[in-house]
Amino acid sequence: MLGFAKGLGYTFKQLSAKKVTHFYPDVPFPMPPRFRGIQHFSPEKCIVCNQCARICPTECIQLTGKPHPDPEKKGKIIDTYDINFEICILCDLCTEVCPTEAIVMTNNFELAAYSRDELFKNLQWLDDNNTNVREEN
Amino acid sequence: MANLLQQTTSLWNVTMFALAAVVLLLVVLGFVTYAIYFERKVIGWMQLRIGPNRVGPLGLLQTVADVAKLLMKEDTRPQNADKALFALAPVLAYAPAFGVLAVIPFTDSIQFADLGIGVLYYIALSGITVLGVITAGWASNNKYSLIGGLRSAAQMISYEVPLVMSVVGVVLMTGSMNLREIVEAQKDVWNIVPQFLGFLVFLVAAQAELNRTPFDLPEAESELVAGYHVEYSGFRFAMFMLAEYVYMFGMGALVTILFLGGWLPIPGLSFIPGIVWFILKFSLYVFFQFWLRATMPRLRADQLMSFAWKGLLPVALLNILITAVVISVQNGSFHS
Repeated sequence: MLGFAKGLGYTFKQLSAKKVTHFYPDVPFPMPPRFRGIQHFSPEKCIVCNQCARICPTECIQLTGKPHPDPEKKGKIIDTYDINFEICILCDLCTEVCPTEAIVMTNNFELAAYSRDELFKNLQWLDDNNTNVREEN
Repeated sequence: MANLLQQTTSLWNVTMFALAAVVLLLVVLGFVTYAIYFERKVIGWMQLRIGPNRVGPLGLLQTVADVAKLLMKEDTRPQNADKALFALAPVLAYAPAFGVLAVIPFTDSIQFADLGIGVLYYIALSGITVLGVITAGWASNNKYSLIGGLRSAAQMISYEVPLVMSVVGVVLMTGSMNLREIVEAQKDVWNIVPQFLGFLVFLVAAQAELNRTPFDLPEAESELVAGYHVEYSGFRFAMFMLAEYVYMFGMGALVTILFLGGWLPIPGLSFIPGIVWFILKFSLYVFFQFWLRATMPRLRADQLMSFAWKGLLPVALLNILITAVVISVQNGSFHS
């Protein structure tokens, strides 16, 4: 009998206790600092070394380069850079291998879309995805 | 209201009475809608959640949306089900649930039928719902429904005995089975004080009668999928749910009348109208239901029966004995 009263008393106290619910879609959910989210790409840093495309385990990165517009300078600059988020597993290998930190992880993670085409992100989109960039890459 | 029944039948008073019944039905439906909403809210709060909050302001339209969904669902029927019984069962479960409300006096003037044997009418009619449940279990032609239905029958019939026995104490004290007279006899002190033992037995037995936690074995979600109404969907399923919550309405009203003094106010606060007192006491009981559901786990099936027969029934009989002895002493039966 005492157990019943104890249990009822406990639940009654919980009635006004602080709720643990996250108001996620209304209030952004803060992710831990090392979270692997959607990549941010800065074209000016890229040296078109192709390492990210080669290390990618799902081969979801496609990139093309073009000769540097300044004929004095050697090397290439990036022309197109696409990540297919239908198959990207956000494994962090591309950002780890990048020698110039041109591709880095962000804490953004909302990828839900109505069409599969929307999951094909191009250079412009990845460049604009510059919020919540991860501090250490 | 009651004198409407005594008049000779005419189109006018039949219409009036039917209209009053429809109003009661709407009140009950409104109660069910928001009882479900508050049940989910209260249980949510007790589990450190916030409960429904998306549909409408504060989630107030959540139940409306749920019911709308249920009504739009396909009315499925298993291929080998007993067609006639399958359709009859939800009606059989719901009709007595609404029927019992006819004798409930909400205040001294708001009552549909002033039966001399109101308590008996309520108990007898509510027994028919067992039949609806068992019919549903049988007609579905599904082993889980049948087990659920039979468990429910065993449980509801067993717990009806201590339920009735606990009411006998109140009936002895009042000397009447009329619900209005029972309330009026509580003018000085509510029955919960002299009949505290009876009240406890009634509370437990009522819980089992309502098939609610901790006695929700008939629809034990985790063991029987859903119990007697696994095969039901859409409108018919809604009828079973409705019956369950209308019974909660009925049982809340009954416990208010039998033990909590119905519409009688706390002494000194009689300026508040009776109906408010009734609603207040009634809501207290309904809240207790939700509170209990957030606290208790489910009883084991083999403990259920022995608890009714070896635990509750002797206590109820003891209560009758004590009440009878005390009344006899008060009447001076032991002196002359």
